[in-house]
Amino acid sequence: MDLSIVAERISQKILSKGKNVDQKEIEAKLRLLVDEFGVQPAEAERTVINELGREYQVQGLAGAVETDRHAIAELVPDEWVTIEGKVVGLSAPNSPSIAQTGIIADASGAIRFVVWAKAGAPCLEQGRWYRVESAVVDAFRNAPNLKIHSGTTVTAIETDKPLLPSVVNVAELKPGVASVHVKMVQEWEARSERILQTGLVGDPTGTTKFTIWKEEGKEPLTSDTVYDIYYATVDEYNGRLSLVLNSGTVVPDEEAELDVGAGGQVYGGAIVHVGQGSGLVKRCPVEGCNRVLSRQNYCPIHEIQPEFRYDLRIKAVLDDGVTTKNILMQRETTEAAAGLTLDEAVELAENSPLGMDEVFLRVQSAVMGRYLDCRGRDMDTTVLVTGAERHRFDPAALAALIDRAGGEA
Amino acid sequence: MKRENQMTFGNRREARFEREPARRVFAAELREARHQFKEGTEEKSPTYVLLPTGQRCNRAFVVGSMTEKMRQGEQNIFYRARVVDPTGTTFVTAGNYQPEAMQQIARVEPPAFVAVVGKPNVFEAPDGGGVYISLRAESVTVVDRETRDLWVLDAAKATLDRIDAYGTTEDSKKAAEEYRIDPALFRKTVADALAQMHL
Ligand SMILES: [Zn+2]
Repeated sequence: MDLSIVAERISQKILSKGKNVDQKEIEAKLRLLVDEFGVQPAEAERTVINELGREYQVQGLAGAVETDRHAIAELVPDEWVTIEGKVVGLSAPNSPSIAQTGIIADASGAIRFVVWAKAGAPCLEQGRWYRVESAVVDAFRNAPNLKIHSGTTVTAIETDKPLLPSVVNVAELKPGVASVHVKMVQEWEARSERILQTGLVGDPTGTTKFTIWKEEGKEPLTSDTVYDIYYATVDEYNGRLSLVLNSGTVVPDEEAELDVGAGGQVYGGAIVHVGQGSGLVKRCPVEGCNRVLSRQNYCPIHEIQPEFRYDLRIKAVLDDGVTTKNILMQRETTEAAAGLTLDEAVELAENSPLGMDEVFLRVQSAVMGRYLDCRGRDMDTTVLVTGAERHRFDPAALAALIDRAGGEA
Repeated sequence: MKRENQMTFGNRREARFEREPARRVFAAELREARHQFKEGTEEKSPTYVLLPTGQRCNRAFVVGSMTEKMRQGEQNIFYRARVVDPTGTTFVTAGNYQPEAMQQIARVEPPAFVAVVGKPNVFEAPDGGGVYISLRAESVTVVDRETRDLWVLDAAKATLDRIDAYGTTEDSKKAAEEYRIDPALFRKTVADALAQMHL
């Protein structure tokens, strides 16, 4: 606990009320209480504020420091917050400047936290409750993250209140931490040595990718089995969400039955533009990179990568005559929409004088101008399409239009 | 891909420029369009053609049969194609500024169903022979019959939607001044086009 930061905070508060108090004087008062009398920093802060409030006749200071307690589910980046929660997960920090990382939860939800080594905070224990005052919420890869720094007060609290994880639907997942009730529906080939298992889990509202990294004590999921997964982290990668189960607790529910829905929303329209970068692309093989390489096999981060990996995708514009949507189809959807497998595309590129352009033209001529019903999730500027079907001619639609056109002629 | 990701999702405000939707319009309506205007004063401001049913159109989507194509010019090659729908013919062009569309037209063997995305362009015939409208193609793709049929329904619906909104929007009030065409006329066009589908 850095008392000079607390002193600065107090001096700012008093300044905001129009009184100027020497920060050194405040710090001395704090030190006396903390160092000589063994008072907890949070209590010392309250005491000093009350004392100064009386001394300088400033009203409303005490209330100001008692930051209202925030519900964890409602935390948003760039806020100073106070929460009370239970440590439900701890993970090994990946830098010496970090003392601890983990997940803290209350009844509303859960958030990842980072304790900076400089914070001087007590070592948090799994399963215990803490009051965390004046922490900062920032965003780490689009997910809110609670930073416990030198101005934060962490106090263990004794409580035996039970904590029930708040379970969310797959359709409502967003980057952060989440608990879900899902069925394992698909296993995919792992693209890295470090992955124990990857695939799809789903509930009636939709499906999402999941990943389990190799780690001692981690077991793969079994197909068609329903699980309660508590406090998994939700990462956003490539505009697509992925549930990482390592941080969480996975409990099989052998008896349960669960219908899995396709999820997302259906967007209908005609493809009016197929963008550059559609068709066959080469991806950087460096683990966790996956960037699309230039024609010269150049990754903007990892430079020349001759051992690239081929992939197939479509970046296009879907237009219903009123609005347009940028859409992105990954390999499986592209293969179905273009009627071309990745292997066939590679063969086509290798045997054509046009190379990869040949695949672009093939894909373009297969989807341009076609009416498609695309199921997917709108990620703000782009719809990630998980399934696309040709829209079919429906005589009933024709009959309805004939009625409408004749209606009031 | 990560970087691309950031470009797409990070700078949402900047990245979001609104692409003009491609309006579905039958040949019979498009050929009546004359009034062309620019929104804004900058050079890059979009140009619109006002459709007689009362909607601005910067881009159109048309599916029909390409019945004929003509290659013109020696140095500056220029393609002109006729695309027929149940209501009439739309002229589609592609020149040096649309090299991709030009190559696409070059590959089509008429007659064939094609999907055309293009910009409407009003021009006066050099010999004082009147005012014409054509679509400057952005892309021309050979498609199947079902796509053509779906387009006829789509264009019918869009035209009826415009007729229903006639008189309630700024663009349609402007159309009423510019054209003096009773939109009920286009309801008849739609009914006739749909009747042909019945076969
Ligand atoms: Zn790379």
